[in-house]
Amino acid sequence: MDIKYGISATFNSAKDIYEAAGKVRDKGFTSWECYTPMPVHGLDGQMGYGRSKVPCFTLAGGITGFFTGMLIVWFMNAFDYPLIVGGKPYFSPIYPFPVFYELTILFAAFGTLFGMFFLNRLPRHNHPVFEHKNFGRTGDDKFMIVIEVEDPLFDDEDTESFLKDLGGKSVSIIREPIE
Amino acid sequence: MSDKSIESQSGFDLQTKLLGGAVIGLGVGLIGLFYGLSSGDKSPYLGWLWGSSFWLSIAIGLLMLIMIFRIFNSHWTPIVRRQQEHGLAAFPWLGLCLLPLLLVGWLGGEQAGILWTWINPDAQTIEARSVTTVSEDVLHQKKAGYLNLGFFTIRLIAYFGIFCGLSYWLRKVSFSQDKDGDPMWSRLGMKISAAGIPAAALALTFGAFDLFMSLEYQWFSTMYGVWYFASGIRSALAVTIIVCFYLSSKNRALDGIYKQAHQYDLACLSLAFTVFWAYISFSQYFLIYSANIPEETFWYVIREINPNTGEQSGWFWVSMGLIFGHFFFPFLYLLFYQNKINGPRLVFIVSWILVFHLLDLYWNIIPGREISPGAYVGFEARPVLGTHLLWGIFSLVGIGCLCAWSVLKSFNSKAAEIIPIRDPRILDSLHHHE
Repeated sequence: MDIKYGISATFNSAKDIYEAAGKVRDKGFTSWECYTPMPVHGLDGQMGYGRSKVPCFTLAGGITGFFTGMLIVWFMNAFDYPLIVGGKPYFSPIYPFPVFYELTILFAAFGTLFGMFFLNRLPRHNHPVFEHKNFGRTGDDKFMIVIEVEDPLFDDEDTESFLKDLGGKSVSIIREPIE
Repeated sequence: MSDKSIESQSGFDLQTKLLGGAVIGLGVGLIGLFYGLSSGDKSPYLGWLWGSSFWLSIAIGLLMLIMIFRIFNSHWTPIVRRQQEHGLAAFPWLGLCLLPLLLVGWLGGEQAGILWTWINPDAQTIEARSVTTVSEDVLHQKKAGYLNLGFFTIRLIAYFGIFCGLSYWLRKVSFSQDKDGDPMWSRLGMKISAAGIPAAALALTFGAFDLFMSLEYQWFSTMYGVWYFASGIRSALAVTIIVCFYLSSKNRALDGIYKQAHQYDLACLSLAFTVFWAYISFSQYFLIYSANIPEETFWYVIREINPNTGEQSGWFWVSMGLIFGHFFFPFLYLLFYQNKINGPRLVFIVSWILVFHLLDLYWNIIPGREISPGAYVGFEARPVLGTHLLWGIFSLVGIGCLCAWSVLKSFNSKAAEIIPIRDPRILDSLHHHE
């Protein structure tokens, strides 16, 4: 048994898909995607995407790391087991700064990596378009737009004719097998 | 693009004004140097050194950036690099500005060591709380093979030989390519940079040791040269961003050529070198703090407290100002994307960086130990505010006007196009995008 995932249309050049993407965006679709064999500069802007939200995760990770470092040093050296080392104070922002600094970088890197995973909904082992017969060519010489069923504007016939009007070739339905 | 001069109508006027400013500033500065020679007051000398160090750091930063761009064969930089190449025209004049300080070392007689104490073997100095003379100071005896006037002079000539020679050749390969379009010039530029980066790095490192670190010759830090490099790159990027912003404003030469993507990348470099500056400056402090050896720590002590009373001095607030104003604020500000792509916002922060760079140099050059037999530790630390600031401002303006005049002359000379139109990378640079 399977359910409908979306409708795909292929294009022959980066220019075609760039123009088509602008029209899909203007139509107001939100759940759709472009598949291209190479990076097409400006395509994400054309699709209406803003800046990535990953930097927010990086900043949050960095701030967390900085204060985690401070907490570790304060708890171990000034609170739980006060110990004089080399005549330094129990706690100071100076001598353990490398700890703060390293943890800032480590947690910022974690924030970046896991923030990217979270925003991209990774890890994900399979995707319905992988099974689609036209998908293989998008790694070679074809450009493909897929509009998903879950988009509120999706309509079986209207969306299909819309994609055909944009100049899309091989307009076909993608199905997703379910158990 | 037909109008190649920066100041279309008033180019001559601005150049004349700058030359006038240079004559006034340098004139007052020179009067100060003569006054210092007769009275033994070293403040005009400190001011002069401070003034030249600022413009020298910018020129060195520009030189290093150009060579780094060249050696990476970087695709987005040619239009920016051309503006920086004009800045290299200032090097011979900067060398000239340091000449009076060197001449005093040779011809100053009893006052030969007025700025760099170690030049005069009979000058009084402090060693472990007791007053002694330079020639009897074991710390000078051990360093005398390096710190002597003859070798010092040879080194200064070598540094400026390297700086001026590299500037001459980097300008020549770039400007010649405008005329014949031969890609050979780009390859030659890469070769010059490959040899030039280590040469200039050594020159700027030892230059910083000789000119600034040797003011307190007992003190030493291997980080010092890297600190001057990081500061120089930061200020050079700041000047590049300001000049390109000005030139890309409406109806000026780079309007529509210098784009958001170029500015964004320069801003990212600014952020990176802000972090690098903090890393270097903190590492120097951290190592000396951890080792806790008196012959090193005194350098930081006189920048924090009055050594005779133990109370915080004005330098403490300058130090704090550097930590928060020269690192934390620009760092946090430049993290935000909008602050990097918005021209006026970016120009604000790079101007801020330039002001704090000036303060950083002031903090590095001005504080020092003045012998004072009655004092508890045998010396007094020089205060933040004093006549050195007054003399310094005249020298700063004078040398700045002289450098700006030479750079503007290069811009207006028609020796080069406004962008390197025949550089093999020019199309990549024009079409650069984020």
